[in-house]
Amino acid sequence: MLSTIQPPRYLSRFPLRRRTKCRSLHILSSAEPLTKTSLTDQSQILSIRELLLSRQLSAVELTHSYLDRLKQTEPHIKCFLHVSDSGKVLKQAQEIDDKIKRNEEVGPLAGVPVAIKDNICTADMPSTGGSHILEGYRPPFDATSVKRLKDLGAIVVGKTNLDEFGMGSTTEASAFKVTANPWDLSRVPGGSSGGSAASVSARQCAVSLGSDTGGSVRQPASFCGVVGLKPTYGRVSRFGLMAYASSLDVIGCFGSTVADTGILLHAISGHDSLDATSSKREVPDFTTQFTSASSLKSRPLEGLRVGLIRETVDAGVDSGVKSTIQGAAAHLEQLGCILKEVSLPSFSLGLPAYYILASSESSSNLSRYDGVRYGNQASSDELNALYEESRAKGFGSEVKMRILMGTYALSAGYYDAYYKRAQQVRTIIRKSFKAALVENDILISPAAPSAAYKIGEKKNDPLAMYAGDIMTVNVNLAGLPALVLPCGFVEGGAVGLPVGLQMIGAAFDEEKLLKVGHIFEQTLQGYNFIPPLISNGAFA
Amino acid sequence: MGSGRALLMLTNFKIKPSFSFASSSLKPFPPIIRNNLRTLNFSAKTRSSLQPPDLPRLAETARISLAPNEVEEFAPKIRQVVGWFGQLQAVDLDNVEPAIRADTEGGNLREDVPETFENKEGLIASVPSYEEPYIKVPKVLNKE
Repeated sequence: MLSTIQPPRYLSRFPLRRRTKCRSLHILSSAEPLTKTSLTDQSQILSIRELLLSRQLSAVELTHSYLDRLKQTEPHIKCFLHVSDSGKVLKQAQEIDDKIKRNEEVGPLAGVPVAIKDNICTADMPSTGGSHILEGYRPPFDATSVKRLKDLGAIVVGKTNLDEFGMGSTTEASAFKVTANPWDLSRVPGGSSGGSAASVSARQCAVSLGSDTGGSVRQPASFCGVVGLKPTYGRVSRFGLMAYASSLDVIGCFGSTVADTGILLHAISGHDSLDATSSKREVPDFTTQFTSASSLKSRPLEGLRVGLIRETVDAGVDSGVKSTIQGAAAHLEQLGCILKEVSLPSFSLGLPAYYILASSESSSNLSRYDGVRYGNQASSDELNALYEESRAKGFGSEVKMRILMGTYALSAGYYDAYYKRAQQVRTIIRKSFKAALVENDILISPAAPSAAYKIGEKKNDPLAMYAGDIMTVNVNLAGLPALVLPCGFVEGGAVGLPVGLQMIGAAFDEEKLLKVGHIFEQTLQGYNFIPPLISNGAFA
Repeated sequence: MGSGRALLMLTNFKIKPSFSFASSSLKPFPPIIRNNLRTLNFSAKTRSSLQPPDLPRLAETARISLAPNEVEEFAPKIRQVVGWFGQLQAVDLDNVEPAIRADTEGGNLREDVPETFENKEGLIASVPSYEEPYIKVPKVLNKE
């Protein structure tokens, strides 16, 4: 199917990074939409919309091409726990084509293939949370964010792999499979939203939803070379997101461009009466500011105050990552930003505080999985034994450990020592970020201390794995929005491993993050963030 | 849990951890460094004076039955992580308000009016053991 259509050539604008041998990039067939539009560089979503409305391509053809690529790459990357029935998906695409033919209005996401992390409930598909205890479970409702995407015409292609209930940073804690990083199949894609990040990276879908409790959208975005957006706590309804830590969880967006994550965020944001923590604040239209690079003036971010968090480029961070971030900072300066180093002395306290809060809240949230009203039930002749056996069989080791740690931290007499102190640390961190974001428009840091590591490398050392979250957890504690976008490479894999720059904004200021991120991305020269396994046509 | 143990726990908590924390501002803790984790110095001052986790009892509270090999596997890891949690003991947190969540934007309650959920059949279809109109569970034993 793909071979009959002329592949786009626009990626020759981005030569491969200088450290690698130059591969001939003239065949880019599987990587991008089948015809180039002026919008392709900015946004897949807008490009798809233009293709469909101008009738250059039908939704059915577009869907076929994504589904074909999905089928070819899946055995190697293993992003999905459930792939939608192709008949159903093509029928939805056909309905969109029919509407377009009749000149009827279609939603802004019409025909856009989207993947959903499997801890977000979808009524017509299994939702397992990556756990045996919910294997085969079909929720009786859609999560609000899923409903909103569907109402706008998006096509859900499947449910992606994750660390069980969001607990992990690699997808190795999934009960079902380990997702591979499209940049190097022996490496992790990050986690817990590893499947969602990898599926966008491998162009199996245009955009995807993930969840971020301690970095679970931002770290995999960095590892997979895609854009990940974590909104402010309360911006997006959590109804239908299987709760891990209720005071920290948010639903986040993945895309191959900043504009795509902004458009996706706009689609799912807004107050929801079904989520008492969802904000009533008006949602600005994030989508109107995405202009093309050619229309920007020479120093488009003149005067923007950017603070690089000193503690995130200290010892313990991979030197390759440090130099990539410094390169990104220099790029921001070229765009007119005023760069400063900012110190947040309480920064390192966030990690133990986060794990105390997250384990404690998860021990409470996961008590609902008892095999009685849903999920898999062990056979037993006594009620407590039923609970104990169902949970013993259904939960994986990481989940059990975190529940036990949380149970300990919340035990009578221990609450003050652990949970309450962690909440106090949260206040300190919140205040320090708030102060720093008065002095600066945005803060920047790496998204992780290293690029993607090998599968199995951190499995047996919990503290080593937790240590990798140091860059991201404080943002969850403070409830702030953050955007991660690919900014360079470090050595590793076939052509290097991507590194993401994290930009942190003030509460509810996603607009500024998206504006800065978009301009950064559109003016960044010399990098190709499509994994070579895809762009080589190895799976065409 | 024997009453003796309970007493021990309570006694631990009457005394506020007594290590001194000299400076009035937060001492910056070194960032967690993967390779240097083993050399992280948990001196007696920072180590918690709380009882270490009793895994079998925690498992009972959390309603998860643990196999003996799991207890063996988890205990050192959990002890290590909980010991690491203990560093918060040394932080000066007097007069700091605990934050329930990041932003407290109250007033988000809906009207206290019951609403009917449309997909009752879907709800019931998920129940493992159903005998209309009961969700069936095995007998409840009162533990001594």
